[in-house]
Amino acid sequence: MSSFRNQLEIAWCPGCGNFNLLTALSEALVELGLKPSQVVLVSGIGQAAKAPHYIQANVFNGLHGRSIPVAFGIQSVNPELTVIAESGDGCMYGEGGNHLIHAIRRNPNITVIVHDNQVYGLTKGQASPTSEAGFVSKTQPLGTVSESFHPLALAVSQNASFVARGFAGDKEELKSIFKQAIQWKGFSLVDVLQPCVTFNRINTFGWYKSRVYSLPEDYDPEDQVGAFKISLEWGDKIPTGIIYRHTKPIFSDLVFEKLGRKEFLNPTRNYQSIFEDEKHGFE
Amino acid sequence: MPDITITIGGEAGQGVQTIGEVLSRILIRNGFYVFSIQDYHSRIRGGHNSVQVRFSDQPIQAIGTDTDLLVCLNHETQEIHQTALKKDGIMIGTISSPPSPSLPSSMVSIHFNEMAKELGNRIFANIIAVGALIEILGIDEKIAELYLEEIFQKKGKDIIRLNKEALALGQKEIRKHQISRKFLDKRNGSQNHGKLFIVGGNEALGLGAILAGCTFYSAYPMTPSTGVMNFISSRSKKYGIIVEQAEDEIAAINMAIGASYTGAKAMTATSGGGFCLMVEGLGLAAMTETPIVILDGMRPGPSTGLPTRTSQGDLEFVLSASHDEFPRFVFAPRDPQDAIDTMIRAFNLSDHFQVPVIILSDQYLADSNWTFSQIKVNEKPQNTQTVIGDQNYQRYVLAESGISPRALPGMSEALVVADSDEHDEIGHLTEDLELRVQMHQKRMKKIEKMREKTRPPVYKAGKTATIVGWGSTYGVLYEAREKLVNLGVDVGLLHFNDIYPLSKDILTFIKSVPQPVVIEGNYQGQLARLLERETKIPFSLRINRYDGRPFFVNELMNQIQEVLS
Repeated sequence: MSSFRNQLEIAWCPGCGNFNLLTALSEALVELGLKPSQVVLVSGIGQAAKAPHYIQANVFNGLHGRSIPVAFGIQSVNPELTVIAESGDGCMYGEGGNHLIHAIRRNPNITVIVHDNQVYGLTKGQASPTSEAGFVSKTQPLGTVSESFHPLALAVSQNASFVARGFAGDKEELKSIFKQAIQWKGFSLVDVLQPCVTFNRINTFGWYKSRVYSLPEDYDPEDQVGAFKISLEWGDKIPTGIIYRHTKPIFSDLVFEKLGRKEFLNPTRNYQSIFEDEKHGFE
Repeated sequence: MPDITITIGGEAGQGVQTIGEVLSRILIRNGFYVFSIQDYHSRIRGGHNSVQVRFSDQPIQAIGTDTDLLVCLNHETQEIHQTALKKDGIMIGTISSPPSPSLPSSMVSIHFNEMAKELGNRIFANIIAVGALIEILGIDEKIAELYLEEIFQKKGKDIIRLNKEALALGQKEIRKHQISRKFLDKRNGSQNHGKLFIVGGNEALGLGAILAGCTFYSAYPMTPSTGVMNFISSRSKKYGIIVEQAEDEIAAINMAIGASYTGAKAMTATSGGGFCLMVEGLGLAAMTETPIVILDGMRPGPSTGLPTRTSQGDLEFVLSASHDEFPRFVFAPRDPQDAIDTMIRAFNLSDHFQVPVIILSDQYLADSNWTFSQIKVNEKPQNTQTVIGDQNYQRYVLAESGISPRALPGMSEALVVADSDEHDEIGHLTEDLELRVQMHQKRMKKIEKMREKTRPPVYKAGKTATIVGWGSTYGVLYEAREKLVNLGVDVGLLHFNDIYPLSKDILTFIKSVPQPVVIEGNYQGQLARLLERETKIPFSLRINRYDGRPFFVNELMNQIQEVLS
């Protein structure tokens, strides 16, 4: 069994929620029987966006907020690849929020993993889109005014193909969610509650531990209205697990259906005969 | 024969473009060279739809200045365009006001729509207008009829018959009137050639991309580049091209970069405002050394500017877009034939050097049609240059040439690690500043080899002065120069299509041309400033236009003579 961890020195704070996330993801990839060369990890910028560097796979560490369009481009031209976009809440929900919305519409076969720690780590502690209203930081000393963003409610409301929440404090459940998300054919969003031990003194491990609960076995993740209610649950009780899933055609299959082909890497085009053919249109 | 300029004006949806298109095709089939452009006249005011069709039995490659024949599909057309009508010009169509002494004597009031109703449908108004035009011009109606048969073939015999009737109706209407001017001595342009081809700028750019092997095109619609997307989309099934309308230009360029990293030949297209959003992605392509072709169809700015007008104002922007430094090619095709070849070169060179290539088009090139007696593919599309790596593969190996062999993800055991951060040879982010220097030098040194690939500018020697231009102004400058030479003003022409990087030979050569006058569609003289920077000599004689219109031959000739006097 190939390992998905490499020997690169990790630049995260000791005790960071990212460690469990990294382990859960690399174990999930191993358990799914994937080979490193079949997997492409795409990330943006931020502490979470460094994660792909610590995994033995193909990596495209691009721009802040732009991992989803890059992942889309990769998966479109080579649907055989397992493509995972991985970044933080600032990257995916702030800078890249628009791309998230439109990726849900396109439904490419990619998995989006969001390290959601409700704070900016790399830039040292500012509020993020998922910070609670009133969050105080050096940059927002009077507390934020904006309400927090609810990514899962957004995804469910837009009929995303697969929507889940994991908690970095429960590695086994997280791994199981990752495996299901990666295997899922379609756009999968996994929001991972991941405490920042340095900059978020509110949403700590303890804070989450006392609130998270796994969705019961009789929960029906195929009921969109029920899933929407669950996706809004936040505060004293925070659900984890597969919140919503819904099978629908994926982008590359629709492309195949419309264009009648899947091969976009080495097209066999006889440019001279195409030219002679097209030339008639100009007469 | 002297060249003839026809202007057709009307409201959107009245068929202005259709009349221009049908007339152009009939003219080229009669052996005439046509140059047509949408929505422009040298004296146009306000928002209004028009098409200009200029033709001659000799090759022409520029827009005309004054109109010989004005077709008014609405009242506004007369108001807007009559001042640009020549003294012996003719005006037909919806004419409301009586002719003033300064206006042409020949005015034929025709209600195309009313006549079309006789045939049972307003849709025939356009062909009635074409019938009227060919009658006035003295064009052979047989060829017009054959053309109608060809384009309406799929619609059936009844439609063909009705359109032929419409054509005859337009002709008959003109015969009722006395036309003061005879346009053509002979009905056909030239008998000595084979077929003529009429090609638009956007079509040529799209075709060039297809020939080059493009399989992924992501863009956000923006005038004047949208025509390229439409051309490629219309052939996406035939040739297997993924065309995705992105949510914004940021997504568009990032999608294309993702596709290219994976091994597809990818491009995006926009105008200056969209390119503003793409700039961060341009830097990403440069840092990750991912090939990409970016088309910027220029229009006046800044900001939204004049969306449907033309400009050459983005040269300095694209030369320096993004923070810090990296090598890039900047090409500006001179006409549709050159656009086909330039697109192929752009894909080849982008792939070979693993650098971004920026193509500067503009609204004038995008929306104009040129006539050629021959169109060819002068460049050979190259396959993507990639390697099969093994477990020890390093994406950014410090290669002597600066070009690190590129493997593709999923194609072998090799892992392809790309990073927007400064990175080590594998591709992992690094803070090692010595390595940073080596990596920066690796990227930057490609530029010396890139210079060798730059084509020299078109040069025609002149004794007294040299007019200098770039991109789509070639046809206008060429014609202005020919006419000046015929008047005894011995000016040369120096015209750039490959703008950056310039080779050392070219830069040395430029220093030797007599009295350069740099003509550009921008305020500051952006090519002139580039040449000053690269050659260390002044290019102080300049002609600049930034009103959103293209250059016109006659006006330009006067301006050149003024600058030289």
